[in-house]
Amino acid sequence: MTKRIGVFICECGTNISDKIDINKVIEEVASLEDVVVAESAKLLCSPEGRISLEKRIKQEALTHLVVAACSPRDHQQTFMSVCKRAGMNPYLLQLVNIREQCAWITEDSARATEKAIRMIRTAISRVRYHVRLEKREIVVNSDVLVVGGGIAGIEISLMLACPDRTVYLVEKSTILGGMARRFERVFPGMDKYSEVLETKIGRVLEHQNIRVLTASDLEQIIGFYGNFEARVRCKIEGEVTRNLNVGAVVLTIGSQPSDPSGIEKYGYGEIDNVLTALEFEEMNRSGQIALCNGSLPTSVAIVHCVGREEKGYCSEVCCMYALKFARYLRERVPYAKVSLLYSEMCIPGKTYQRFCEETLGDNVKLVRSSNVRVWEKDEGKAVSYLDEGGAEQTLIVDMVILAPAIEPTSDARRIAEIAGIPLSIDGFFAEQHEKLGPVATSKEGVFIAGCAQGPKSISDTLVQADAAAGLILSSLVPGRRMEVEAETSQILESFCQGCRSCISVCSYGAITFDERMKVARVNEVICRGCGNCAASCPSGAASIRHSTCDQIYQEITEATR
Amino acid sequence: MVIGAGIAGIEASLLLSKAGRKVYLVEKCSFVGGTVVKFENVFPNMECATCMLAPRQQDLLQDRNIELLTLAQVAQVGTSPEGFTVQICKRARYVDILACIGCGTCYEPCPVSAPNEFEMGLSQSKAISIPCVGALPNVPVIDKERCVRFAGKDCRACKDACALDAINLDQKDEMLELRVGAIIVATGFDTWNVGQIPRYGYGRHSDIYDALEFERLFASNGPTEGRIVLRSGRTPRSAALVHCVGREEKGYCSAVCCLYLLKFSHYLKSKISDVKINEFYTDFCIPGKSHQRFFERMVKGDINLIRASRLEVDDCDNGLVVRYDTGGGKRNECVVDMVILAPPMQPRRDTPQLAKILGISLDDKGFFVKGVASSVSSSRSGIYVVGCAQGPKSIEESVAEAQAAVADILSSSRSGGL
Repeated sequence: MTKRIGVFICECGTNISDKIDINKVIEEVASLEDVVVAESAKLLCSPEGRISLEKRIKQEALTHLVVAACSPRDHQQTFMSVCKRAGMNPYLLQLVNIREQCAWITEDSARATEKAIRMIRTAISRVRYHVRLEKREIVVNSDVLVVGGGIAGIEISLMLACPDRTVYLVEKSTILGGMARRFERVFPGMDKYSEVLETKIGRVLEHQNIRVLTASDLEQIIGFYGNFEARVRCKIEGEVTRNLNVGAVVLTIGSQPSDPSGIEKYGYGEIDNVLTALEFEEMNRSGQIALCNGSLPTSVAIVHCVGREEKGYCSEVCCMYALKFARYLRERVPYAKVSLLYSEMCIPGKTYQRFCEETLGDNVKLVRSSNVRVWEKDEGKAVSYLDEGGAEQTLIVDMVILAPAIEPTSDARRIAEIAGIPLSIDGFFAEQHEKLGPVATSKEGVFIAGCAQGPKSISDTLVQADAAAGLILSSLVPGRRMEVEAETSQILESFCQGCRSCISVCSYGAITFDERMKVARVNEVICRGCGNCAASCPSGAASIRHSTCDQIYQEITEATR
Repeated sequence: MVIGAGIAGIEASLLLSKAGRKVYLVEKCSFVGGTVVKFENVFPNMECATCMLAPRQQDLLQDRNIELLTLAQVAQVGTSPEGFTVQICKRARYVDILACIGCGTCYEPCPVSAPNEFEMGLSQSKAISIPCVGALPNVPVIDKERCVRFAGKDCRACKDACALDAINLDQKDEMLELRVGAIIVATGFDTWNVGQIPRYGYGRHSDIYDALEFERLFASNGPTEGRIVLRSGRTPRSAALVHCVGREEKGYCSAVCCLYLLKFSHYLKSKISDVKINEFYTDFCIPGKSHQRFFERMVKGDINLIRASRLEVDDCDNGLVVRYDTGGGKRNECVVDMVILAPPMQPRRDTPQLAKILGISLDDKGFFVKGVASSVSSSRSGIYVVGCAQGPKSIEESVAEAQAAVADILSSSRSGGL
């Protein structure tokens, strides 16, 4: 088929025409091979400009289009939709940025004109090799797999489940509720949490569209957003495995407190009445705070930041729950003296400082300290520390509560590998973007929420759970079809040598190896068209559809001629 | 309807649009992006804030389901069977948003010059202008308060300069009526004017900046194009960064100051490698998995970390003198060229008024109160509050809350599910 290339040059008001001699440009490019139209317009992106461009494409039966105007960031989409309306495949367009990259930065008018001509010639050489590309659509599976039945998993399941959407809630242990089950009260409201939690668990268990799989473990996930297949093994029922087809996966496996016995100076495991925070929570929940010998404590030291230095991060909630512990003590052992040995008070936000102020009093004191160590002395436990001035001080107490750093659960790494998402340096799940994507991950369709992403409070966990639900509800709509990117990579089987270099450089996990045929295959639904595979392929089998070797070669040849 | 086109409002609008909802995004200013557009970089990765925000702003401007109403404010809210009937007051821009291409030719001939509010008064702007390079939509606005035409003079300099005839001096303010099913309040925060605490010397002595002023001073698209200079034009050799300014008076911690002041020390070091930095703090609040590493990275240079209380700033012959109590209760002082104060985040000035219009409650600090129905509900069903309108928080928390509000609206499990 003969090529009929149209070149349209936008004056952009006076932004381009002030610097570039438009008539000269038209004169130069009009005579080039296959160019059937070369025209200018006052403002191509305006409604009138777009209508006239559409009309001209049809009138001249153009096969390819070059638009010389502004940045593709401004108007690539605009001109692509003009093409679509004119019945032309939008990938047969090449946009040349003669505004930002020429008119606005080249001082001399003659040189700017020359540069614009060269840029447009380059685009003409390239566009000739453009091919039609089609976007494809797939039907989405709107069901969701939630891994981890703590408060985050429960919240997400309740938010998502509806008659058109089944949620599979997979929990490793035999009961739902996770870590929050162990707390009697939660800060800063000091509400009894068990009632809230039991109500929610009840709703999950009764929900027609939530399938709860307890004592079950995730074994494999393959596929892509809108179409995953997950394998789950149930440890009871005689080790049954089930395959679940879902559209999205949410990982809410929580976190765990680190074991302070690894840090000798705190005497945990060696000295009586040195407890971890969780042990103290449980002691309180049992109804009585007491020492090993059954008597009530008269003085208690709560040590903040245990293991913070070793871990390299602040666990965010310890200052607040230490204050909560002081309130437990105030209620159950009112005369006990409580010392909070802290390094930096971390009580961000509008309500926490008040909680702190209302907790402190004659029997509850903040003690700024460093180098805390716990040892045994005749009368009881001695807690030594350096005060603000650097002098060593010693407190004699009969109970010590340690607030250990929060760390990822022991199976975080395994689950991350199964789901194909990276971990951050501390072993928590890495979010897609520190600021803009706190609950998304680098793998589309896999979401994270709660303490599996990093230490956080119950309220922050619930926000994240709802956030993950929001992302899923807005994009994984039952019955909707998903548009699949047309600008993807392709691998020609007959050229592929099976070296797998493309697989190692693919950032999206879009390429798999076909063991039978010994070739690499691209999953076009996952591919983002970045071109890493094309650049790394030694045999020329991999290429990207929207920047082929021919296109780039013609472009460079013309640009450097 | 989403009120406020900051980072949270944009996030909520884009997601609701993706779900197929029609969204009215009501923004008081002439541009979108909120407070984050004033930042050069964001902690902890020191990513360029504009580059982070720009793709979202572009998506927003091109989204067909989102009707962006700039220069618009909510005037009245009533109930209707479907939810709410909202009266919007949309001020005239006097520039046709479709015809204008943002070339800026119209600024030159304008005879007015006044302090640029977006730049915290650190530079001058014309009566017709965009607040800074890169503001979106890239369309100027005429400030009626400043334009001489609205003071009775027959000036049409900007209109004559515009090649596209985009300026319409006869445009009128409009009242619009919207019918919506749910409202997300994402109006952000103000910073407290630290001049109200006299001991910090703000407003009395030069070269004392509050945090947002310093952000603009460092911004490559700001009034000095990123050169950090004293009012005299000299480069500062030393600076004091003061944490927790006004915390005691407000009674809460603003959650992000420790981190952004560390960012500022990085800003300073990146431009003036041998600058002496003193950070005056009370407690380092750097929660979460990645912030302590950021802290360690930032203080690795020779930043002087000083735990201080009862701090005051005064003028002296060699610049500014900072006097403070050390941990041991001793009074100390140091002399610096520049002081940067971290003011508390506080509710937007018009929060009480908006609360009244929306019929929702405020807490004792003046922020919108959190309801019981969900993490982002307000005291009234169908209205949600996200981001710093609800209390001081980081960008990531604001974004997560915006996403959570979208879940509340879309989920059939909530009573607000529509």
